[in-house]
Amino acid sequence: MSTTGSSNPEYVNARVRARRAALFSDDEYRKLVRMTPSEIARYMEESEYEREINELGSRHSGVDLIEYSLNRNLAKHFNDLLGFSEGRMYDLIARYLRKFDAWNVKTIMRGVYSGADRESIETDLIRAGEFDESFLDRLLEASTIEDVITSLDGTIFGDPLEAALEDFEETDVLVPLENAVDRTFYEELLADLPSSEAIDLYREFLEAEIDFRNARNALRLARSGADIDPAEYFIEGGRLFNARELEGLVQSPDQLVSTIRDSSYGRELSGPLDELEDADSLIAFERALESVLLKYSRRLGNVYPLSICPVVAYILMKEREVENIRAIARGREAGLSEAEIEGELVIL
Amino acid sequence: MAEDVKPTRKNLMAIEDRIELSERGHDTLEQKRDGLIMEFMDILDQAQDVREDLNANYETAQRKLDMARAMEGDVAVRGAAAALHDHPEITTQSKNIMGVVVPQIESSKVKKSLDERGYGLLGSSARIDEAADAYEELLETIILAAEVETAMKKMLTEIETTKRRVNALEFKLLPDLYENQEYIEQKLEEQEREEIFRMKKIKAKKEEQEAEEREAEAESAVEATVTSD
Repeated sequence: MSTTGSSNPEYVNARVRARRAALFSDDEYRKLVRMTPSEIARYMEESEYEREINELGSRHSGVDLIEYSLNRNLAKHFNDLLGFSEGRMYDLIARYLRKFDAWNVKTIMRGVYSGADRESIETDLIRAGEFDESFLDRLLEASTIEDVITSLDGTIFGDPLEAALEDFEETDVLVPLENAVDRTFYEELLADLPSSEAIDLYREFLEAEIDFRNARNALRLARSGADIDPAEYFIEGGRLFNARELEGLVQSPDQLVSTIRDSSYGRELSGPLDELEDADSLIAFERALESVLLKYSRRLGNVYPLSICPVVAYILMKEREVENIRAIARGREAGLSEAEIEGELVIL
Repeated sequence: MAEDVKPTRKNLMAIEDRIELSERGHDTLEQKRDGLIMEFMDILDQAQDVREDLNANYETAQRKLDMARAMEGDVAVRGAAAALHDHPEITTQSKNIMGVVVPQIESSKVKKSLDERGYGLLGSSARIDEAADAYEELLETIILAAEVETAMKKMLTEIETTKRRVNALEFKLLPDLYENQEYIEQKLEEQEREEIFRMKKIKAKKEEQEAEEREAEAESAVEATVTSD
């Protein structure tokens, strides 16, 4: 599809509503939590995931089969979204789904960097973004990081990666390249967004996502004690922090928590923030952020049913479904109790 | 066997020298064994603590990894691991504890800060950080456990060897030497007694001979006197 021409939000949203109705319900999650991994695979075979389970059944088994089937199904649905959207709608959806392009670029760079063979890199790709099969094949043929970056010339990741290449060559670690890819994805989300009531609210949602990403990264750094320049991890575009403020807040985690508490997110995050002050782990807080973001997207979707908002809400819900099923299967495989697994799920 | 030894004074002296040397060796080895046992008990306590830590750290690390694989996906965890640049390294040296050479393992690049792990901060999560932290902690404990348990095993082998040597001296070599010493001493005393007896016999025979000679001389003197008369 193309970014030019008229947009078709009504059609896209009608299709999205049908797909949203097919997502697993709370009751189905409760059923899955009591199953073994092979029972989960069997259950999936009789659901929405039938085709992927059958296609991948000869190559993978156990929880790997479940995980790869989930990824492939996710990719299929998101490619469909790009397929039936047009004009501005396509542009907005594609921007959001470029997170999978970013994932694929990082996966290929990590594979090349660690000397993995082409087949194992290919298995780990999630073909849900804008890059088509032939472009991904070209990237997979690259034998060095420089080749990967050269092949990305002309995409949104090309120039930022070129700029980060020098850092990579100096340090020989992937951090500058991976950060460049992720930062580009987030910054492109907000670049040149048109103005309308629905888009303005959508912008607020994206800003919240960036704020949450900055907040969790700042908390991770504050807890790890690593001395990293904020410019390396800060994403522009959020409302809550700027790079300089964040640098100071990383040195003082209590101040960072009170800044989040005093912000517009404070009311919804007050419970997780209270727990965070006594907890050794950030995991519960990250889960709370994901849950708040998911609720936010759903609320936006209900306010503007014929905009990009319900589509993004669906994307997040589908991702959450994939993550929940994977968590249940891996949790069962690792012998976690039902209560422990239910505690890890984000269900609205 | 005592009967195999020639009961000579030279052999007795040689055996006495060996007894003295063996007794000294026995005392020294006994002291070494006791010292090794004391050192071993210290290392054993340490090894027990390290083993407990190892089990606890393994449980924690495996749980964190399971959680990271569950919530982030196996692919994301593998990807983060593939980004690692500086792999942990170990160097081994040795130190001497009471004559036992035990390894001293130094590790580097095991514990890493967030920026040294190779994966980008923006696209990863605290679950991966915590799994990596827990595995780094586990790796450090494994290295310490390898050092302590190897030292413990080497000490145990040395204690066994020393104990066998002490026992061999105490229950085999020294009793044999004492037996030989006693045998030679008895034989020499017997030889001495036989010699004395023989000398006495010779002396008595000589005295008898002399008496006979004197008697014969007296008789011949008497005969000469009678003839002259």
